[in-house]
Amino acid sequence: MNVFRRLAAQWVERYRKMSIQMVLSLAFTAVAAAGMLLMSVSLIWRFSSANEQLVAENSRRVLAQANLNLDSYLRRMMRISDTVYYRTIKNMDLAEDDLTGDLSLLYEENRDDLVSLAVFDGEGGLVSAVPLTALKRDAETAESEWFQAASRSMENFHFSTPHVQNIFDDPDYPYRWVVSLSRHVQLTRDGATEGGVLLVDMSFSGIEQVCRDVTLGSGGYLYLIDGDGELIYHPRQQLIYTGLLEENNRAAASYRDGSRQETFQGRTRQVTVKTVGYTGWKLVGVAPAESAASPQLPLFGLTLLLFSIFLMAFLNFLISARISDPILRLERSIRELDRGLADVRIEEGGCYEVQRLNHAVASMVSTMRHLMDDIVRQEEEKRRSELEVLQSQINPHFLYNTLDSVIWMTESGQQQEAIQMVTSLARLFRISLSKGKSIIPLADELEHARHYMNIQQIRFKNKFVTEIEARPGTEGLYTLKLIIQPLLENAIYHGMSSAEDDGLIRVTAYREGEDLLIDVEDNGLGMRPELAASLLEEDRPEVRTRGSGIGVRNVHQRVSLTFGPGYGLTIFSEPDEGTLVRIRLPALDEEEAERRRQGEEL
Amino acid sequence: MRTEKSRLIQIAILAVLGLAAALSLALPQLLRGEREEQLLSLSVMLRDTDSSGWTVARQGMEQAADELGAELRFLTLTAAGDSEEQEALLLREIEDGAAALVVVPADPAALSAALDPWLVVCPTVTLESPMEGASGVVAPDNAQLGRELAQALLEDWDGGEVLLLDTAGRCAGVADRVAAAEAALAEAGAPVRREPELPEDAPRWVMAFEPSVTQRTAERREAEGRDYTLYGVGSAAGVTAQLERGNIAAIAAWSDYAAGYLAVRRAVNAARGAGGALSPLPFFILREEDIYAPENQKLLFPIMSSSSR
Repeated sequence: MNVFRRLAAQWVERYRKMSIQMVLSLAFTAVAAAGMLLMSVSLIWRFSSANEQLVAENSRRVLAQANLNLDSYLRRMMRISDTVYYRTIKNMDLAEDDLTGDLSLLYEENRDDLVSLAVFDGEGGLVSAVPLTALKRDAETAESEWFQAASRSMENFHFSTPHVQNIFDDPDYPYRWVVSLSRHVQLTRDGATEGGVLLVDMSFSGIEQVCRDVTLGSGGYLYLIDGDGELIYHPRQQLIYTGLLEENNRAAASYRDGSRQETFQGRTRQVTVKTVGYTGWKLVGVAPAESAASPQLPLFGLTLLLFSIFLMAFLNFLISARISDPILRLERSIRELDRGLADVRIEEGGCYEVQRLNHAVASMVSTMRHLMDDIVRQEEEKRRSELEVLQSQINPHFLYNTLDSVIWMTESGQQQEAIQMVTSLARLFRISLSKGKSIIPLADELEHARHYMNIQQIRFKNKFVTEIEARPGTEGLYTLKLIIQPLLENAIYHGMSSAEDDGLIRVTAYREGEDLLIDVEDNGLGMRPELAASLLEEDRPEVRTRGSGIGVRNVHQRVSLTFGPGYGLTIFSEPDEGTLVRIRLPALDEEEAERRRQGEEL
Repeated sequence: MRTEKSRLIQIAILAVLGLAAALSLALPQLLRGEREEQLLSLSVMLRDTDSSGWTVARQGMEQAADELGAELRFLTLTAAGDSEEQEALLLREIEDGAAALVVVPADPAALSAALDPWLVVCPTVTLESPMEGASGVVAPDNAQLGRELAQALLEDWDGGEVLLLDTAGRCAGVADRVAAAEAALAEAGAPVRREPELPEDAPRWVMAFEPSVTQRTAERREAEGRDYTLYGVGSAAGVTAQLERGNIAAIAAWSDYAAGYLAVRRAVNAARGAGGALSPLPFFILREEDIYAPENQKLLFPIMSSSSR
């Protein structure tokens, strides 16, 4: 049981690993082969059966013909006997006439078929005989089986089995085999009638000739037996007589006319029996079963079967390929999609169901692509809104602080400073607006930084000096707007808060390869490098400080979100040495800046 | 990858099926080729100059040859019992490509020595006498035959010398018969004399151990009007006729037809590499009154097919 289970499990496992084409073609082929096998077996069986019937029919026909020939031959012999009896013996008185002349005539007419003609009296004494006219000195005619049979049944002809006729004195001792036809006759002698026997010795070769040329298919033959099964003729008679061969003649004597199967010496054969009228002899036709069912037949059937399976397998492979190829192509397309190839085309071939499947998958892929585009767009919008939020987060704090300073200066009579501050503020906001553009010329951004520092310097009473420089090579470059101001704010509140009057904040823009770098450097308190590094970490808790309140991390996020993870801020700081915050941006020319602006708008 | 593998499997299946179909188509031809064995050429050599005594045996041989697919060449000697001529003729037959030989050896020992190197490639079956290296011998048990023939004589014997016609020469089979008969007679107290030929003063009891000698001796008895009682061997028509005419008292007979058939069958089988043993031929002692008993008729007077006559 376990073996079956294991086999079943193996089969299921193998089935799972098979391609659909293999499954289809093997299943089709197996079903077709089983059908063809069944059909072949049925056909062979039907053919064999029909062939057997044909052989039996053929045997019957051949035997009927042989029977006719034999019957004709025997009747001829009986006619000879009748002629001798009714035309000669009945008309003669043995005391006066001699039979020999008439017998000789008759013998000469039929010498090919006759060995001897003889008439005996009731005691077995020779009355007349041809061609040999004398009996052997010790011939025991009355003891002969043919003589006794004739004497026993007086009305009938009697046919003996083949024997060597040994009663006549022949100096050549030819030992001829004969079949004796004997009958009881009435002899007339001196007007009185007495019993006697008329003997017609037929040459065995006459019967042999009738039977010899009968053919019963391949390996078939015919033999003749008497009512007791004694052999009269057999094509291999002498081998049987010498004991080198056996025949089933005794059993055949009990067979009725017709065909039947018999097994003799381990071999099955078809036997057809036909009784020869009058004599009770039986013609037996033997056809080996192998000749009925030709040995080639199963082989031919096998060839036909194999060829049919071959053809069927070939067609099945083609058809299954035709069915499964669209499915395989679909599977391949899905695998490519899985690998991330964007421009995968899904063919809609194959039969109706596969077309529907392809269509459904194509539709699903299209929907998926739209959904992904939507997601990307939504992400983009989200990002932009975040930026806008970030930008908007700057303005209120700064505005509040500046206006507070203006109020303070106005109240304290520092009108000139207040005017300068408001002017710078106006200029600052104009650049901040920049018609809603997020990418502005570097010059504007630096101008914005300068105005911001003007405001802050007024607020911080010139506790620090600001240097803003754009190095050669940066002309005409563009930058994300409002990225320097938060750093300056940070430098002021963290770097310059405790400075005396020697504070310095330097802004330097320069180009490095394809990047634009903007360094914001102060000589303030500085910080530990670990702290400086941690300032940009995304999971760092937001600590609201003075100034814009958002700090460098917002700037870093904006730059990274806009230009990718390779861009953003780097902070270099040492305690009591100052801090350098470096902004790395792509060096955008006007065309690229414009393209990005359009991308943002989309 | 999987598709490629499937395709390869399919091609392999198709190739196997195609090959199987082609093979089954070619198989009948191959089988027929195996079945249609070549016609074998067999040479048959007697030790007599006259083969008339072997007519029935020859018919048995021809029957076997016809059934088993062989062709027979019958050879006779120019001088009876000439073993040298027999050797020369047989060697020539072997050189001419005889597949097997059926021989009645004139001198089995000498013939065996002469054919020794060839007996492997050209199987030889002997009749009458066994021969060393031969593939078989088809003969009655010669010693037993000699004893039983002597016994037949002793049943009639009422005294007097028994003449044994010792014509064996170097023929071992006949010599065995003579020796066994002599021993049986001596044991029964019958005086025995050996002579190579029938003397003028032949005693009343004579035994011959070869068919041809039996027939000749019987014919002389009738022709010369002599009154010896002859016991002989053989089943040829000439011998049987003499038995019937009363010139022979009893014969040891066997079926020449069976002997010829078995000899060729064994030779053909040996040439085709098949084994098989031969049993001694059955023989029987036959007197005149038994000739026409149905079973004896069948053995003594073979029915010959007209086609093979």
